[in-house]
Amino acid sequence: MLVADFEVARREFSVRIHLQVPPGERLALLGRSGAGKTTTVEALAGLLRLSRGEIRLGERQLSSARHPAADLPPGRRGVGLLRQDPGLFPHLTVLQNIGYVRGADPAAARVAGERLGLGALLGARPRGLSGGEAQRVSLARALQTKVDLLCLDEPFNSLDRPLGLELLELLRRELEDSGTSAILVTHQLEEAQAFAQRLAVLHRGAILQVGHPRELVLRPASREVAELVGYRGWLTCGTQTMALHPDRVYPVGAEDGGEISARVVQMVPQGARIELELEAEGRWHGRFRCRSDRSATIGELMWFAAPGAPIFPTAPTAEEVRPG
Amino acid sequence: MAMRGAGVRVSTGAALIGALIVWVALLGPLITLLAHLTPASVMSALSQPGAFQPLVTSVTASLLALAVILLLGTPLAYLMARGRLPFPRVWEVGVILPLLTPPLVIGLLLIFMVGPATPIGAALSHLNLTASDTFFALVVAEVYESVPFYVLGAMAAFATVDPALEQAAALLGDGRWRTWRRVTVPLAAPGLANALAVTWARAMGAFGAVLIIAYHPFGLPMQIWVTLQETGLASALPYALVLLVVALPLPIAAYIWSARARRRL
Repeated sequence: MLVADFEVARREFSVRIHLQVPPGERLALLGRSGAGKTTTVEALAGLLRLSRGEIRLGERQLSSARHPAADLPPGRRGVGLLRQDPGLFPHLTVLQNIGYVRGADPAAARVAGERLGLGALLGARPRGLSGGEAQRVSLARALQTKVDLLCLDEPFNSLDRPLGLELLELLRRELEDSGTSAILVTHQLEEAQAFAQRLAVLHRGAILQVGHPRELVLRPASREVAELVGYRGWLTCGTQTMALHPDRVYPVGAEDGGEISARVVQMVPQGARIELELEAEGRWHGRFRCRSDRSATIGELMWFAAPGAPIFPTAPTAEEVRPG
Repeated sequence: MAMRGAGVRVSTGAALIGALIVWVALLGPLITLLAHLTPASVMSALSQPGAFQPLVTSVTASLLALAVILLLGTPLAYLMARGRLPFPRVWEVGVILPLLTPPLVIGLLLIFMVGPATPIGAALSHLNLTASDTFFALVVAEVYESVPFYVLGAMAAFATVDPALEQAAALLGDGRWRTWRRVTVPLAAPGLANALAVTWARAMGAFGAVLIIAYHPFGLPMQIWVTLQETGLASALPYALVLLVVALPLPIAAYIWSARARRRL
């Protein structure tokens, strides 16, 4: 079990993490750029010193702000880190890269390479590899490390989306087979949901909410979490703000329990569906989006239902916040 | 459009002619040397008793100087390249200073620093070493004259190694030394080889500081100088040829190897 309760000082804000990851669990750390996701996994991997707290993995203490001299070095913590940059050694062949880990069995490295579709490239140098091939090599190498926890810092973000998701699925299966815990850093909800059993939302260095990925989408605890899990509509009514997710707003007839009336402002095709941009009028005010199966006309007045939409206190305006 | 094409052709042609002139001018001394030597004159000079002794002295002293420079200069170059030393500019000045100081002045100052009458000289005498007119003094002079070439070259070579790769090796379980051996040095090797080759050539040809603190035993540069003084230009040329034949193959081989190694990376 990973038990992390620490703080790492950064220029703009400190990253404060309180997190537990049971053996074999896959957790996604979701947050915007600069939220502190990379700082978190780098601290777990032993690349950063803690300014407070400690990190434990099973019985072992990996890092402690009190005794930084006793911090375990990166390679001896049982924590792997896979990054966006594959970090392949250019002077070694693909097979040598995969089998780089100390004590790695060359035959196992070969098998790992072949399993990831690199059989024909084992003798090649990294220079000529495509982005996807390089990431496969990096992935095969990371899987040779036999770590207890694998941190994944947006490793497939530079690849095209289908390939990235394919590699993530491949990795998910490998982790499941080996029972290795993993933390995936991402800013894409879809990726987090496809990979993780639990989702932690990180915002400005603090974990705002942890839970089942679907649970977080259905019941975000705050406006910040709602924004990060895909809510894009904010309708206000006095002191209340209703958060609307494009997939959870349904066009209905006025007599069928429609609670929001809105006019169509814009229509954008989204795959097989159409995303309507709407301007609410009536009790609720503001703009929101709805993915609909049917088309509409600009200016058309429609009714919508948003069952279970979270409601937050309306954020004070700048004038209300201003002192005096 | 045609005018523009003609302009480009003229400027390319002019650049080629300029490059050719520079190339011939640089190789000029070597061509002149070969033109002024006959096999008979070379054989005659080298068949003198003890003719090869300066060569042996120069090669052994340069090898020793190279070993010292490699041992002390490599960690310094690495730490400087990684910015791990406090007051980095101070260290850089320390490395560049011997390069900017005329070799004769270096020799002069070395006498005042490590000569027999100095505290360092006294300490050396306890080890049966004297840094004046000895083989040891020759090595010291060669080290001072050539060390900046190695440290600056090695620094540039280490700077080309992406620290993220060293970090990747550490994450895969390598300690610092193992990372250095398996990642840093192999990746910096082409640049290190070049630095080492230039340093070798420089150590073999060291003269200014050597003239002051290590007149004896004669190495090749000193043999050339003495022969030139005593018997004239023509009789010094065979020794110049020997110096070039011994000093140049390593740098040329290192240059070719390093160019190939860079292409592979």
